[in-house]
Amino acid sequence: MKHSRMIAAAACAGLLLAASSASAEVVGDLERGKAVAAEVCVACHGADGNSPVPMFPKLAGQHADYALKQLQEFASARRQSDIMKPIVEGLSARDMADAAVFFASQQPSPGQVDDPSMLETGRRVFNEGNPDQGVPACAGCHGQNGVGNARYPRLAGQHPTYVLDQMQQFADGRRTNDKRLMQTIASRLGETETRAVAEYIASLEASK
Amino acid sequence: MKSALSAMFVLATACSTALAQPDAAPRAPGIESSGYVWNQPDPDKDAALAHRPDIEQGKIAYEICQGCHQSDGSGRADAIYPSLAGQHASVLIKQMMDVRAGRRDNPKMHPFVGEWVVSVEEVANIAAYLNQLPISLDNGKGSGNRLERGRELYENDCASCHGKNGEGNATEFYPLVAHQHYAYLYKEAVMIRDGERRNANPKMVIFIRDYSNEDLKAVSDYMSRLTLPAGTRQP
Repeated sequence: MKHSRMIAAAACAGLLLAASSASAEVVGDLERGKAVAAEVCVACHGADGNSPVPMFPKLAGQHADYALKQLQEFASARRQSDIMKPIVEGLSARDMADAAVFFASQQPSPGQVDDPSMLETGRRVFNEGNPDQGVPACAGCHGQNGVGNARYPRLAGQHPTYVLDQMQQFADGRRTNDKRLMQTIASRLGETETRAVAEYIASLEASK
Repeated sequence: MKSALSAMFVLATACSTALAQPDAAPRAPGIESSGYVWNQPDPDKDAALAHRPDIEQGKIAYEICQGCHQSDGSGRADAIYPSLAGQHASVLIKQMMDVRAGRRDNPKMHPFVGEWVVSVEEVANIAAYLNQLPISLDNGKGSGNRLERGRELYENDCASCHGKNGEGNATEFYPLVAHQHYAYLYKEAVMIRDGERRNANPKMVIFIRDYSNEDLKAVSDYMSRLTLPAGTRQP
């Protein structure tokens, strides 16, 4: 039902955008979302959400539910970011939903692996976790292909630099909007395995 | 397009989390305490047991668990993650709530079953979802060297509660042990005998108090090879 409303909104936008990939939960206007992205997000995240800067996350193909939650929590400072806070303060609730739906509809670009020698370790951690340290497989929540779902973000093709930064923020308690799940995992996973899994995530097929 | 910050988000700042260490698991009184009563009433456990479960919601909530226990609930013999598929919902609810409350010490699992992660209703939904999954038949087994001794011990001391075929008893909160991973059965049996599994049933501790490690291995191996005759699974 919600899905059909979303499709209707997309159809109204009348653009040649991949409307079907947007979230079934978040209702947004692709055309408005594209305009918000072009005005507010483009410099760091790219016009289509494929960020050109390794420090800033790719948003293309990210689940709208997850992206919207993050925007709301930047605004409420539940997720703290000196960069994002002033930016989201300029957005209405509608802007956020529209931008989230727009980015969800975009095609993610392939990730960039910096150190292929780490991929095998990364694959093991991603698919099996580290039982000795009490680390579950990443695949359990984020899916075998790292595509995530409405509850857990897409990881496939993400910049390793960004993934590592977030893991560090979870580990030292600067990022806390995760029900403590990622805080636990990041604090248990060793440095080498964390780096390896970030490389493996970059190697995962980014296309939907 | 850019409106002022909405009041909704100002209100939401009150919800920002500043919680305790992720790994700090609680410790509640257990079998080491005088006056310990096994499976005594507990508000969270009782509410979960009373909840009318939603299996589809349970499948979604189980996502948090499947990074260790696997999407089919089969666990992992090599990592000593127990098989959960087909286990009695009552048993699963009791054990999850015991870990959550710190009556069963499991610091690895605790952060994933905290009340900030899964609601009482979700615990019940997860249990119902797991209960209806088919029991995984390729569980880890023991050496097979002392199965006759294992059978003798099982039939004398274990079958009266866990059932002739290892089917357990949902009403009594006795777990299904057939098709459980040998390594898990042995590890838990040692902990129960030695008082380290603090939510153990004292009746069981008395039964296995004098078991040697070799006997615990034999009976664990025997249990891991039990199979349920068709139609004996309790709902």
